[in-house]
Amino acid sequence: MPTREEQLFRWLDRLDRDDEDDQTVVTSIRMPAALREALRVAVDLGMDATVNDATIRAVRDRLETFAQRAALAAHYARHPEARPSLAELALAAAELDGDPLADEPAFLRRAADQVVAVRPDASSDDVLVWAAALRSVQASA
Amino acid sequence: MTAPAAVVLDNEAVQALLRLTHPKHRRVLTFIDEINQRNQRRGQQTRVVVPVAVRVEAGWDRTARNASLANRLARARDVILDGSVADRSSQLRQAAAVSVVDATVGHAAETAASPTVILTSDAADMGRLAGLLAGEVRVVRI
Repeated sequence: MPTREEQLFRWLDRLDRDDEDDQTVVTSIRMPAALREALRVAVDLGMDATVNDATIRAVRDRLETFAQRAALAAHYARHPEARPSLAELALAAAELDGDPLADEPAFLRRAADQVVAVRPDASSDDVLVWAAALRSVQASA
Repeated sequence: MTAPAAVVLDNEAVQALLRLTHPKHRRVLTFIDEINQRNQRRGQQTRVVVPVAVRVEAGWDRTARNASLANRLARARDVILDGSVADRSSQLRQAAAVSVVDATVGHAAETAASPTVILTSDAADMGRLAGLLAGEVRVVRI
């Protein structure tokens, strides 16, 4: 019997294949009336081609992000050595954004150590904000 | 300083993702993990894309049993190679003196949502290529 995670991955694999075949089903969802109206207006303003497209895209994005996190968690459970540190994530974030802090990996490592000491669940954004603040203070001293 | 809307994988980035023993596996995984966390945290979607020529070169057959790890970790969308893509890639190959596959990476970066980041082991070639592309394209060495 496949696990629930395995079932999720299999449906996503199927979803990828169905993209090519355009297989769809009709379904109905209950949503706040104001959300539906806001969606209609946003579509008129060019957010997506149709309300259906906007809904599908939003749901799919959330589903894929959730499934990817589940895949990463499963990978780290089997291979703990593959899990990146907070400092590595912060460096990757700086590199992705073209942030000048990307040229200072040692400084980012120290900033990550300081941030995680007071906030164990800190994110890369927290580290980058702290590092930028430290740099700003140093520059004005 | 802006977050990328799309990230393009080159050959070595894909190989690193496919193989746990690859020396850059953890490095590439770090970018994938960071993108995932941002997508959850910020409600934005940074998409990971891969030109199909890169998949061929790296040996990424999505239907192969040993590809499920990369399929599920990257959730990368294919950038299809058709006639018009071949035309633009051919122009880029000649202008930047890069390989056929790298030229398709350039095309993918140019047509993806901007700003775009190319994850690559060949920052020199990709940097030359990025200079020729429309839109904001940054090169990040893995």
